[in-house]
Amino acid sequence: MTEEKKDIYFKIFRFNPEVDQKPFYDTFKISVEKGVTILRAINYIKDHVDSTLSYRFYCQAGICGSCSMRVNGVSKLACTTQVWDELERCKEKDVITIEPMNNFDVIRDMVVEYTPVIKKLEKYISWVTPKIKREDLGKKEHIISEAEFKVYDAATDCILCGACYSECSMMSAHREYISPLGLLKAFRMVKDSRDTRSDDRMKILNEDHGMWDCTHCYRCVEACVKNIPIMDAIQGVRNEAFLRGMKNSEGYRHAYAFTQDIKSTGRLKESTIAVRTKGIFGSISMLPFALKMMGRNRMPKVFVHTIPGIKHVKRIFQKLK
Amino acid sequence: MQPYDIIIVGAGGGGMYAAMEALNTNPKLKIAVVSKVYPTRSHTSAAQGGVNAALANRHKDDTVELHIFDTIKGSDYLADQDAATILCEDAPYVVRELENLGAPFSRLEDGTIAQRPFGGAQKYRCCYCADRTGHTLLTTLFEQCLKQGVKFYSEYYLLSIEHDGDKAQGVVVMNMQTGKIEAMPARSVIIATGGYAKMYWQKSSNAAGSTGDGIAAALRAGIAVEDMEFVQFHPTGLRKSGLLISEGARGEGGYLVNNKGERFMSRYAPEKMELGPRDLVSRSIEIEINEGRGFDSDAGQYMHLDLRHLGADLILERLPQIRMLAIDFEGVDPIKEPIPIRPTAHYSMGGIDADNDGATAIKGVYAVGECSCISVHGANRLGGNSLLDILVFGKRAGRHAALNAPSLNPGAISTAAVEKSVKEIEGFSHHDRTERYGELRDELGKTLGANAGIYRTRAKLEKGVEEVMAIKERFKNVRVNDNSAVFNTNLFQVLELKNMIALAETVTRGALAREESRGSHSREDFPVRDDEKWHKHSIFHMNEKGDITLSTKPVTMGKYPLQARTY
Amino acid sequence: MKYAYYISCINESLSMEADTSMNLWKNDLGIELVPLESGTCCGGSNLDFTSPDQFLAVNGRNIALAEKIGLDMITSCNTCLLGLRHAKHILDTQPEKKEMVNQILKEEGLEYTGKSEVKHLLWVLVDDYGLDKLAEKITNPLTEYKFAPFYGCHILRPSPLMGGYDDPNRPHTLEDLVRRLGGNVVDYESKNKCCGFHTLLVAEDESVKLSGSALDEAITAGADFIVTPCPLCHMALDAYQKEALAKVQSGGKMRILHLSQIVGLALGYSEKALGLNKHVVV
Repeated sequence: MTEEKKDIYFKIFRFNPEVDQKPFYDTFKISVEKGVTILRAINYIKDHVDSTLSYRFYCQAGICGSCSMRVNGVSKLACTTQVWDELERCKEKDVITIEPMNNFDVIRDMVVEYTPVIKKLEKYISWVTPKIKREDLGKKEHIISEAEFKVYDAATDCILCGACYSECSMMSAHREYISPLGLLKAFRMVKDSRDTRSDDRMKILNEDHGMWDCTHCYRCVEACVKNIPIMDAIQGVRNEAFLRGMKNSEGYRHAYAFTQDIKSTGRLKESTIAVRTKGIFGSISMLPFALKMMGRNRMPKVFVHTIPGIKHVKRIFQKLK
Repeated sequence: MQPYDIIIVGAGGGGMYAAMEALNTNPKLKIAVVSKVYPTRSHTSAAQGGVNAALANRHKDDTVELHIFDTIKGSDYLADQDAATILCEDAPYVVRELENLGAPFSRLEDGTIAQRPFGGAQKYRCCYCADRTGHTLLTTLFEQCLKQGVKFYSEYYLLSIEHDGDKAQGVVVMNMQTGKIEAMPARSVIIATGGYAKMYWQKSSNAAGSTGDGIAAALRAGIAVEDMEFVQFHPTGLRKSGLLISEGARGEGGYLVNNKGERFMSRYAPEKMELGPRDLVSRSIEIEINEGRGFDSDAGQYMHLDLRHLGADLILERLPQIRMLAIDFEGVDPIKEPIPIRPTAHYSMGGIDADNDGATAIKGVYAVGECSCISVHGANRLGGNSLLDILVFGKRAGRHAALNAPSLNPGAISTAAVEKSVKEIEGFSHHDRTERYGELRDELGKTLGANAGIYRTRAKLEKGVEEVMAIKERFKNVRVNDNSAVFNTNLFQVLELKNMIALAETVTRGALAREESRGSHSREDFPVRDDEKWHKHSIFHMNEKGDITLSTKPVTMGKYPLQARTY
Repeated sequence: MKYAYYISCINESLSMEADTSMNLWKNDLGIELVPLESGTCCGGSNLDFTSPDQFLAVNGRNIALAEKIGLDMITSCNTCLLGLRHAKHILDTQPEKKEMVNQILKEEGLEYTGKSEVKHLLWVLVDDYGLDKLAEKITNPLTEYKFAPFYGCHILRPSPLMGGYDDPNRPHTLEDLVRRLGGNVVDYESKNKCCGFHTLLVAEDESVKLSGSALDEAITAGADFIVTPCPLCHMALDAYQKEALAKVQSGGKMRILHLSQIVGLALGYSEKALGLNKHVVV
């Protein structure tokens, strides 16, 4: 049985700062058989057409995370992506676009500067510091229940490929943002009962560009090459902040306002959410917005109606923690 | 420039654990880890099955002694028994230490580290984290290195190991981002660069960079390498890509089935069946295929690895990565269909001749992990012992180097040494060069696959040596087309090819010289183990002219006398 | 066609025009909406993590209210859609959680069984109602205008929760609708990106950068309007438009339409009746 074959165009981002003023695209046409991966296709181009094509790859098996790049605009691993699957996603028929990951500086072609990821892992204390003293290591393992292991099992799947980093909305808005992989790693550490530094870690997560900056766009979850439920982890660290009563942040107060409103009237008291989130002084910056709303007669009512059956809602908050 | 106390080349499990141990032994040391890839990309990450240790969590009657015997028998009695003893004795400690430092092992119901059966082991002693143990251990080690502030030079390529004939001087490396070639002087150097099975190219499970860089550099530096002919073929590589399907699939109960629907391993290892040692299972698959009981396809002949009877729940929980590999690379979901597999070049038992502390004949130069040959694996490595090897000896070498480095005073690395690399690399770009990298690389893989594969004969091996030598000659004319100094992947690939060719010569020559069958080295013309003539290690040296010479050295025996090896 | 209507908090307060415009034309299409008066706020993608169990119970209750009257649920807000579908998924796949929620709901005479579907107004128009049928009702085809679709994250992602109605990377449902209404569609990169609404109060600079980029692209692509099925995105793109465009140093302006307003326009209702004058950018 021979596989289907067709001519496919690869429109590839090129940039070598040594010789190029600015980036450009090279298009290569090659005959590709069904079942070939993007990596095999660009390896073929590199071997037979243009040996200057530069990109990282290593294990070729979706395990090491080296070959992440944007294929038809979406960040993924080249080695596990089928060329055939990409054909229906091409903007121009049979033209597959290959570009470096977003939110990283380009070193050359698809090779990007990766050290910011490592710096973030360092900033957020992404390691276990056990209670066991140096001289007692290796004698006995911690007893960890399967239930605990299940909580961070999926998070340990992360191969630091950077696809989530590349897709993340807030990363594109500010390079200092912790990033989805940073939050995932933080969650994995915070939930590991063997670690003793969660107090410090939660403090840093609570600061600017930390856990409260995630805008819930779910692009990370969509992109994750290992199908890790990253948003569960981000919600997990925020939940940890609630469990610890870490009230001194706008993010906490904002979320807290929602629970208070649902509990008291069932509906949001939109008029006061800003004040409750930012405090009186912080809300001064909201004045222009308030004026705009007033000008269109859209200011939300101060007194919000209470839904019928509110006592049943209150019971939910009493019975569940 | 002040020399480093220790430079570690390679940031896999062995390299990073060595760095951690060195810093713990003496926090004041100036240590650097040099790696051609970012640490978490290292090939340790691909190890799926697990790490062996006689913790006796699962089988309460398991002992270190049983593990030692399994290792020695698995090696077909070529392992040095003192080294194998250390490997197994240190195992419970290193596994527990990593657990203490956060390694996320799967757990038994009582909360202790889970263990499962693995090839060639009498008891269930393979500790695992689902089917991605290598990945999680590597991640844990990297996290701990960050915690300890280990200095990494990531994406630096090793060009040469420098010494003055007596002691280490350091290494010459290239900064891959800028193309700059520099000398890094050091009192000691630990080579932890991994194996060379990628020389089989199309028929290998390895990462693209498992090209034996450190071993080739050691060889060129006049340091002996050992047992190169012993290449392990893992029985279950995916049919089209050669990528690995972990032994764990068989450990969890998978069956190997031929085109008659038989679990054919009953003929070759009636007791252990699919969990015989890898060399035995690979040979069995080859025989079944050669005798017409395999399946045909464009991508070659193959066997079935059937996991369907294990059920979706078990597969999803314990073997998720394997399932993704089968789906991504073969289009097969193991829950519904058997996986098409065939043997693939997977591990190199051979490597730099090192002692029980990883020390080579040159003071201050060490080798650990797959790039070394101590020898703990002898003629065949047991599954789960490689992750163990890199940890145990990485730790030992790190400690030994830390204790001894301060007393070593290296001379400076000569400018001539640096110039040599600069000139060689410039030379690759000359217009009059005509050979193409891709062509030479593919031909090397083809000839090794055909002539130095699972079943070898004198005729095939002589042809292999001849063809490798021809490729070696043609390599002198290979052209690097990319002239940039910035991240020149064309250049790195050519340098890796150079290393593969050098080591391919040792593999074919060593296989030709060894006229017996032992472990993973099977000679159709010499089908039995010949302890009288060949119970010794093969040793290889490279002289100044680049010629390989062969010699031998005895095997260190111990408690376990030679005996027949059956499963 | 009859559905239980789940009202988004913002449509009751800051952006009432979204629902008032929908209520203008729903009868024209024969869509009956029974409002869930006793429904609470969905948690606005915050309750999920302040207390996961309370989130499940609150939204299990919301869905149970629809089940009690034997109807599927429609919402016209993306975040409500996600919150309800997320809770539904957990309750449908984790029996212990369903049991936990039903223990509390039974005291109110409610039970969550999983019978009622949770859908977005956009899906109902495109799928249940059908674009062909909708096209027949049009009296004012929007042929003179160019529309840039802005989907909003929570109707596309995470795609396993979104019922297969659209493709998160190459979405088309909103565009299909616009074309059937006679309108011209302008394609641009940010159509499936984030408006930054949920961090407007906490990280305003970054949020307006996101909406600013989307606005700038739509302006450059020559769109007359951006149309969005989410009132939260509408808020970010309309009420914060000045800050957003200033952040990305872009000029121009872009009028933002609610999904219910573009449908109303094609069905012949006036801009004033549909509340377009309520927007900040007119």
